[in-house]
Amino acid sequence: MRLLRDRGFRAGAAVALLMVLVAVAAPLLAAAAGQDATTYHDDLLDSARGGVPLGRLGGISGEHWLGVEPGTGRDLFARIVYGAQVSLGVALIATVLQVLIGLLVGTAAGLGGRWADAVLTRVVDLVLAVPSLVLAISLLAIVPQGWPRPLLLAAVIAVLGWGGTARITRSETLTLRTRDYVAAARLSGAGWFRIARREILPGLTAPVLTYAALLLPTNMVVEAGLSFLGVGVRPPTPSWGQMLSSATTWFRADPMYVLLPGGLLFLTLLSFVLVANGLRRVLDPRQSEVLR
Amino acid sequence: MRRALPVVLSGALLLAACDGGGGGQSSTTAFDPASCQGGTLSVLNQGGITHLDPARLYTSGGGNIPSLLFRTLTTRNRQAGEAGAKPAPDLATDLGTPSDGAKTWTYKLRDDVFFEDGTPITAADVKYGIERSFAPELPGGAPYLRDWLQDAASYQGPYKQPEGIKSIETPDARTIVFKLGKPEGDFPFLATATQFAPVPKAKDKGAGYDAHPVSSGPYMVESYAPKKSLILVRNPHWSTKSDTLRYACPDRIEVTAGLDAAVINQRLVSGAGQDANAVTTDAVVGPEQLAQLGTGGPLDKQVARGEFPATYYLAFNTRKAPFDNEKVRQALSYAINRTSVVNALGGSTVAGASTTFLPPQKALGYTPYDFFPAGTTGDPAKAKAVLAEAGLTNLTIELTHQNNDAEGEGPKVAAAVQDAFKQAGITVKLNAIDSTTYRDVTGKPATQPGLSLQYWGADWPSGGPFLIPIFDGRQIITAGGNFNLAQYDDPAVNSEIDAINALTDPAAAAQRWGALDSKLGKLALVVPLAHEKDVYLFGKNVKNAVPDGWRGTYDLARVSVK
Repeated sequence: MRLLRDRGFRAGAAVALLMVLVAVAAPLLAAAAGQDATTYHDDLLDSARGGVPLGRLGGISGEHWLGVEPGTGRDLFARIVYGAQVSLGVALIATVLQVLIGLLVGTAAGLGGRWADAVLTRVVDLVLAVPSLVLAISLLAIVPQGWPRPLLLAAVIAVLGWGGTARITRSETLTLRTRDYVAAARLSGAGWFRIARREILPGLTAPVLTYAALLLPTNMVVEAGLSFLGVGVRPPTPSWGQMLSSATTWFRADPMYVLLPGGLLFLTLLSFVLVANGLRRVLDPRQSEVLR
Repeated sequence: MRRALPVVLSGALLLAACDGGGGGQSSTTAFDPASCQGGTLSVLNQGGITHLDPARLYTSGGGNIPSLLFRTLTTRNRQAGEAGAKPAPDLATDLGTPSDGAKTWTYKLRDDVFFEDGTPITAADVKYGIERSFAPELPGGAPYLRDWLQDAASYQGPYKQPEGIKSIETPDARTIVFKLGKPEGDFPFLATATQFAPVPKAKDKGAGYDAHPVSSGPYMVESYAPKKSLILVRNPHWSTKSDTLRYACPDRIEVTAGLDAAVINQRLVSGAGQDANAVTTDAVVGPEQLAQLGTGGPLDKQVARGEFPATYYLAFNTRKAPFDNEKVRQALSYAINRTSVVNALGGSTVAGASTTFLPPQKALGYTPYDFFPAGTTGDPAKAKAVLAEAGLTNLTIELTHQNNDAEGEGPKVAAAVQDAFKQAGITVKLNAIDSTTYRDVTGKPATQPGLSLQYWGADWPSGGPFLIPIFDGRQIITAGGNFNLAQYDDPAVNSEIDAINALTDPAAAAQRWGALDSKLGKLALVVPLAHEKDVYLFGKNVKNAVPDGWRGTYDLARVSVK
């Protein structure tokens, strides 16, 4: 496999895989540490100093492997691993939804008639032009409290961010539909749906997969951003963005608290970008023809 | 007392805010008000200076910045600590003479007080200033006068009803008489509000007066850009002879608004250039500075600590299940972990655990009690036992809070309460409401949730403005703006409130307010969580930044930068 020979891809994939494992195994890991993400430990805080953790490096100890959260004393290791669940889960669901919507709209626009294309393209332009962060904030602010927050976040991020996938799919579809094998399929009497499924979709795999690999980290940033702005998941559910948000007031008093979620977010994003780059290099035909 | 906004909020709306004022203040040499004059004082604030019109300001004790511009009939006496919780005569020669069982209050004005243009201040100017505050065009002031003055409830201000308020009489240029609908012993406290500042009728431009209100205090407006900046210069017609309470040390005061609290505190710590001469009236210290305080470092000389009387509490709606059940309210009172709440509010330096609704100020009548002892970290076992007694298991409740932590009623405190109740087997669902509409939702009995985080600050240091809006059954306002969130109405309590209101001796009143608070505490109508402590920094060249006992903050009329 050429992919595995790419050093960047290997490193990225390893870290990304580790993060996914951490997220999936969050309850197990927290249980192994003997902690949970919501219990307060007021005895571990210096209340007179505003609630900074007692002890060195944000209160790191045998019991609290990454220290405790300033102001609450909640175990940071448990919050980090549960936070990974939210950050990765939301980003993943959002990406899948974005790809699905984008594929559907993009192929419909590429294969449909002039009118369908014109209308759908305008819709895509609209989605791309809307200031999505502002809209996401207002959408999340008006939704009733009872709705499951992480799913809602994923849905909102997806609904506001499928424009790019749709556009790429449409332009690829427009090139693919002029290929001889598509013409042959049409002449043999295949309907548009069958053509889309059997002839076009396989050709879209490479560009869409690469794009999706880049979308995932972007969605993580959006989730972190929304949680940072206070419209993300609700407390006491932890998320890295939320932790970063509360860390802004602590970064001098307790640097560990900002370094942990910040560093992990950076690492995860970097790993996914490396994976996407690796994929692009292998899947992009122009890249593969480059003389080495 | 009705729509009385908690003072932290109103403080942010005005220019004044509650700050620190109890003890740890470092004064090196004796401060001499006679030789402190000179220099420029910078005020770095978060809150916008939204209004300057005295009719539109909601202040406690006349506010901090407003008090530089406006003299009122009485004002806070600007003393440190407990002694500071008393009014002192300002424009008037004394605190007022009550008659007719405290239903009539008569004031004599000084004869050496002038506006910034040299015109003498008369009783008619004070009366006109009060009448303006009734105008619907000029909203924002404290609502007490409308309640208290005889037959003034429907008065629409001098623009629509130029005949004025009949229950305010000015028999001569130096005398002003207030006729009240019921006895109010706290009138001298109310007379510190900016609504009691004189306004010359000839200079009144209605809503446009906001741009340049005519000064009666030591400073006047040089330039003013709402929510941005305010520059004050000396008023040549004010003199220390007529006003011994304000020292008016700096020659010039420059207020900058709209700054971030962290930025303000960082600038006060670094003290570069003019920042060495800077203060703030609304940026409480953050964790960053708290970590440096008390270490013997240089910052310990730049801090003022005080206590503005205010309580953070959980408010029950006793008309809604399950909070109509006294056992449930008691169980929650036992389960609360006040240490977590204090930490969520910023730690023990800026908040202290409270088991009483009245904050621990003697002037308010503070009487210690703890009917549902929860210890420092809660008593979940006792809470479970009380719930079991009531035949309740697996209780699930909803806690309503603001969507940000700016006012201490946000997600941080809510999450701390949630965790404490979880220990007692009670599941808490959190319901965040946008802070701008929070009071609209909680203040309307039709939309009021069963349990919410609340804050109450004293409009003046007395038990009345603390207990009346919260527990007087006649103060349940169905139209909105309600603060009697328990919707508690007991005729015996109501008549005790009337009886205490009639007292003109603050000490006697305080004792009875304390007894009333204790009596109400037994009913678990609220869960008191914590009281406010105020810690404010000031620039390294600033002198005499002594917190006063009324507002818990250093007084801009007394600080010096010379």
